[in-house]
Amino acid sequence: MKSAEQARNKPVSLPVEEKSRKPIGLSLGAVRTFAPLLAAIAVLLVLFSLWVPQGRFLTPANLVDLTQQISVNAILAFGLTLVILIGGIDLSVGAVVAAAGVVAVSLLNTTGPLGACAGGIGVAVFFGLANGLFAARTLMPPFIITLATMLIARGFALGFNESRPLPIAEHQELFLALGNARWGGWLPMPVILMFGVFLLSTVLLHGTRFGQHLFAIGGNREAARFTGIAIARHEVLVYAFCGACAGLAGIIHASQLYSAEPAAGMGFELSAIAAVVLGGTSFSGGIGTIPGTLLGAIIIGILDKGLNQAGVHFSLQYIVKGAVILAAVWYDVFRRNRKR
Amino acid sequence: MKHASLVVLALIPALFSGCKPAATTPAESGRLFGVSFQTMNNPFFVELNEGLKSVIAPRGDRLVTLDAQWNSLKQKNDVADLLQQRPAAVFINPVNWEGVKGTLIEARRKNVPVIIVDAPVSDPDLVLCQVASDNFEAGRLACEALARVNPNAKIVVLHLSVNRACIDRVEGFKAEMAKHPGMRILDIQEGKGSAEGARPVMRDLLGRFPELDAVFPINDPSALGAISAIEAAGRAGQVTVVTVDGSREGAAAVRAGKLHATVAQFPKEIGRIAAEKAYAHLEGKPVEKDIKVPVQLITRENVAAFLESR
Repeated sequence: MKSAEQARNKPVSLPVEEKSRKPIGLSLGAVRTFAPLLAAIAVLLVLFSLWVPQGRFLTPANLVDLTQQISVNAILAFGLTLVILIGGIDLSVGAVVAAAGVVAVSLLNTTGPLGACAGGIGVAVFFGLANGLFAARTLMPPFIITLATMLIARGFALGFNESRPLPIAEHQELFLALGNARWGGWLPMPVILMFGVFLLSTVLLHGTRFGQHLFAIGGNREAARFTGIAIARHEVLVYAFCGACAGLAGIIHASQLYSAEPAAGMGFELSAIAAVVLGGTSFSGGIGTIPGTLLGAIIIGILDKGLNQAGVHFSLQYIVKGAVILAAVWYDVFRRNRKR
Repeated sequence: MKHASLVVLALIPALFSGCKPAATTPAESGRLFGVSFQTMNNPFFVELNEGLKSVIAPRGDRLVTLDAQWNSLKQKNDVADLLQQRPAAVFINPVNWEGVKGTLIEARRKNVPVIIVDAPVSDPDLVLCQVASDNFEAGRLACEALARVNPNAKIVVLHLSVNRACIDRVEGFKAEMAKHPGMRILDIQEGKGSAEGARPVMRDLLGRFPELDAVFPINDPSALGAISAIEAAGRAGQVTVVTVDGSREGAAAVRAGKLHATVAQFPKEIGRIAAEKAYAHLEGKPVEKDIKVPVQLITRENVAAFLESR
């Protein structure tokens, strides 16, 4: 079976119809994809710089804060982009953030920071692999699979330390540095890690054959199957990658908060999905980019920070964010349909 | 072309930081204060917020209220946003008493005083002061009230063990119990601090322990859940319920005779005192580190007066 698949694999030419399905280059397609997002960011920056009192929005320190504040959400969103791109969904990432955090912090005093990170990410990859295997090998929809693993991961995390936060000992400086250190005195460590994951996933999705296959699977699963792509293997790897991202996010989260919280990460999956969708990834699969997701996460971050600093009542913040997401996705759908 | 737009984007902040004075509203009067609550989905924090406002607004200063929605990372980010605006002081009601540490260090670095309201933190050295109900005393008073009517009570506790304030209440309850050798705790279960959470747990406990004749649900919502389970089991009047909170609903249950006692907290008072301490500090006066706001036992005798005062 496998050799047959490989044999068929060779002469494949992938069904590339839309510009955004191509690897990102200096193409006109890339400009068309990102221009509206960049414009939205520019408009928001101008708006908040005028709105926030005493010109305290567009300061270097505030913008560095912004990048730090979006890092956990962006890392989750990069992993989710691949999952959503192949027509899947992963609701478990928020609970996996908590599971990875509590495992890492529990291990910290016995294994040191390296073992702790390996353990945390290991647990997260385990949940990712489970999601992927169920999605690939059964007929259950990913929404239901990951809803179930979300509950399992949450229960697993809540089983630690009677559900109370696990503090990180003060002498674990290396682990605490992951969330709190600033390289060169200004660039936050979580931002460096976020860019690492950004580069990795950009290359993976837009620069490799593996990534091209993901576009094919998301675009038309049956057609991809007939061209000989090993769908199950790709699917398992994508969910495992998403799990690994959630694991890293969990470690950063714990480090930033000087403690692992069994109840951490509730609802994180929704913010991450919002970033992915704002960034132009189609919920039905086949269309999407990693840089778009980063821009989506930045837009959500600017909204959060700007509305906070403008002193907007928190009840109104929900409404504004909901309206922005609705408007952005509506515009995106409208634009795509017009092109056809 | 993509690069061009990126360059333009990169230039925007530079452009605007260049014309910062123009963007400044000249008459931004009054000082800025901020408060971050673990949740606003609880009347307790809404009242606490009103208490803060009652001191801050009349002085012509501004209070920004933020809801962390039980998310400590959001709380950290929210407070970081506030700190960038150089507030006069920040009030924090921490989601996670360990997790707030990074925020406290950042506030200290920026020289902004932090006052913790309602829930204690693990590093009191990093804050100006902490203002909270005397939860230990509240638990103690609840137990005392129970001992007066039933010195040999067989008790179950409906806990919310993730919450520091509730832990203190149960500790206070146990400390008072030590003085009454006839009292015994049959079991401690998680009641989730809500009516929906407490009702099924109480129903199970009633089935398990026929001798059960008292319950300490750690707040009013779980007390109301427990009462409805007791009534459903046909044991109304046989189980004494004592709790801590003093909400309007709790007091109404005391008046109706369903709840034996609730120890009232005064969230508005907590807010008022916290804001006054902030101003005292800004005026250079010394401020005590640990301020316990008194609680009051509410029983049938004083419930009418209590409800009137609210």
